[in-house]
Amino acid sequence: MKALNKAADIMLLGFSSLNVHKVRSFLTSLSIIFGVGCVIASLAINAGASSEAQKSLRELGSDNIIVNAIKPPEDSSSKGGFGALRYGITKDDVVRLRDNIPKVERCVVVHRTKKYALANKKRMSVSIIATEPSYAEVARVEMQAGRFFHGRDTLRYKPHCILTYSLAREMFGHIDPMGKLVCLGKKDFRVIGVLKRLPRALAGGASGGDRQVLIPLSTDEAVFGSITSMGTQGSYVLEKVDVHQVILQMADEQAVLDGAQVARSLLQRFHEKKDYNVVVPIEEIELKKKQKRIWNIVMLLIAGVSLLVGGIGIMNIMLASVTERTREIGIRRALGAKRGDITVQFLVEAVTLTMVGGLLGIALGLVTPVLIEKFLGFPGVLTTSMLWLPFAVAVLVGLLSGIYPATRAAMLDPIDALRHE
Amino acid sequence: MTELVRLKDVWKTYDVGGQAVHALSGINISISEGQYVAIMGQSGSGKSTMLNLLGCLDKPTSGEYWLGEKDVSKYTDGQLSEVRNLSIGFVFQSFNLLPRISVLANIEVPLFYRGMPRSLRHPKSWELARMVALGDRALHSPQELSGGQRQRVAIARALANDPLILLADEPTGNLDSATSRDIMDLFDELHQRGRTIIMVTHELEIAAHANRVINLADGRVLQDSLNDSTSPGESTPTPPPQPSEDRE
Repeated sequence: MKALNKAADIMLLGFSSLNVHKVRSFLTSLSIIFGVGCVIASLAINAGASSEAQKSLRELGSDNIIVNAIKPPEDSSSKGGFGALRYGITKDDVVRLRDNIPKVERCVVVHRTKKYALANKKRMSVSIIATEPSYAEVARVEMQAGRFFHGRDTLRYKPHCILTYSLAREMFGHIDPMGKLVCLGKKDFRVIGVLKRLPRALAGGASGGDRQVLIPLSTDEAVFGSITSMGTQGSYVLEKVDVHQVILQMADEQAVLDGAQVARSLLQRFHEKKDYNVVVPIEEIELKKKQKRIWNIVMLLIAGVSLLVGGIGIMNIMLASVTERTREIGIRRALGAKRGDITVQFLVEAVTLTMVGGLLGIALGLVTPVLIEKFLGFPGVLTTSMLWLPFAVAVLVGLLSGIYPATRAAMLDPIDALRHE
Repeated sequence: MTELVRLKDVWKTYDVGGQAVHALSGINISISEGQYVAIMGQSGSGKSTMLNLLGCLDKPTSGEYWLGEKDVSKYTDGQLSEVRNLSIGFVFQSFNLLPRISVLANIEVPLFYRGMPRSLRHPKSWELARMVALGDRALHSPQELSGGQRQRVAIARALANDPLILLADEPTGNLDSATSRDIMDLFDELHQRGRTIIMVTHELEIAAHANRVINLADGRVLQDSLNDSTSPGESTPTPPPQPSEDRE
């Protein structure tokens, strides 16, 4: 009890002596403030990025292999009919991919066209995305209203369409678009559903912002065919693309990795130019993980260096403090302070310095999610352990860097210390 | 009277550039309870060394130092700290108060290291401040006090743990003559109340307040005499120990 009392008193003493040099104490703890803030920020970015990556994986589908048609670098070789530029995935490719890759569960095809849409007395340019009913499961489509295509829609070449939520708002304002007619090209399509938002897989490569209209693939082929006019820098270029995107849904992860290999070699064999790309979300995640690991190491190094510098700063200031207060130490020793009492007093001072720095660092770290959202475009994620862990490390740094000055103070000879001017 | 301090053949040897220098060479002294002793000597006579030894700030190279019933000459640093805290009250020439804390907090320092809880320290330090007539200054910082007032704070602090001996090192060295007189009056008063005082000084005038004067030269006791003429109200002490009043 007595010892406890004394310990508490000595702690108060160490605490109070910082009051004397407020500016100096603050400057010393600055590096700790930034160190802790930096660690918290990097942890928040990291956690935010990884949850973002997981979200995008969930959206692209971890069990998918996506093959996109891409326009090859400008050269006017293989011309299709009517002098249109022909590139991309052919129907033969789709069959080859579907039949040669083992363990394909589903195979969905997407074709895009640009048309003018007329509805509700408004005319606007939209991209038309033609696809099949199973797209809903493969790309995890979420409906705002209505339904996705059925097999019937395809079989009967139904002139049905689905709007994205933002396009529906733009076209119809607050009027319910369900059942309304939208004229695409020269044909009327009935709105049977509204998408919450465009699936990630579709958004990739699609032009025309968010003005997207989905129609059944069969209807698309019957009405528009495969020739698309794409506007580039004022002049229209005719393009002939059979298939813009093929999504292969695989049975399991291993099948995805193996399938990707087969898909790449198959496509390579039948395409002279690189007018396609193969996107494998799992592979991308692996790549991101690797990049994250490097980023982690860099951040940890920065944080480590700033804490090290902070620790050196604290040691420095504590050594100065010990020299400055040699006489005080002598007086305290003469009046009965043991070496341990002096050690504790200075250790508490050093730790308090880092604790103040650590708390301010946490305050700084708390602001980071806001900044991350603003500058990096995804929300930063903060958990309590991301706050107290860097704080604890900072306090440990304070303790470690306080040991040497505190021991030096304690080992001073009382007689010499008393004589010190 | 009880013997309080006994130095038995105490040597203190320093090694100066490979050469042994004896600061104290075989000191034998016995001081009994209630005595008022002045230790005198030229600089280099060994009186500072003696003070450090008596104050348990230092250990003798050889010999024994009995303080109360204990031989403290072989004590560890920690044990000596405890002895300084409980059994010795220091009064320094330059006061040695802690500048950043109040008079009251200064007086509390020895109580603090003794481990006395705050609730007991407070009334005790107030009592001590009033004893040295500084009750109205208790919450001031030492820097706001005059030299004499500061020395009174130091004396109050020295008495906080009711030590066996009050050890004063030139207590009036930094004071003008009028203030010196006040401080010496305070020492006289403490002595009359039975306090054992050992004072190091080089001023005869100050030493005259003591009832025993030990002269040191070259680390030896040159002269150890009783001094009854200038201590009014003091019963004549006879050689070795024989002082008067009981400790309170």
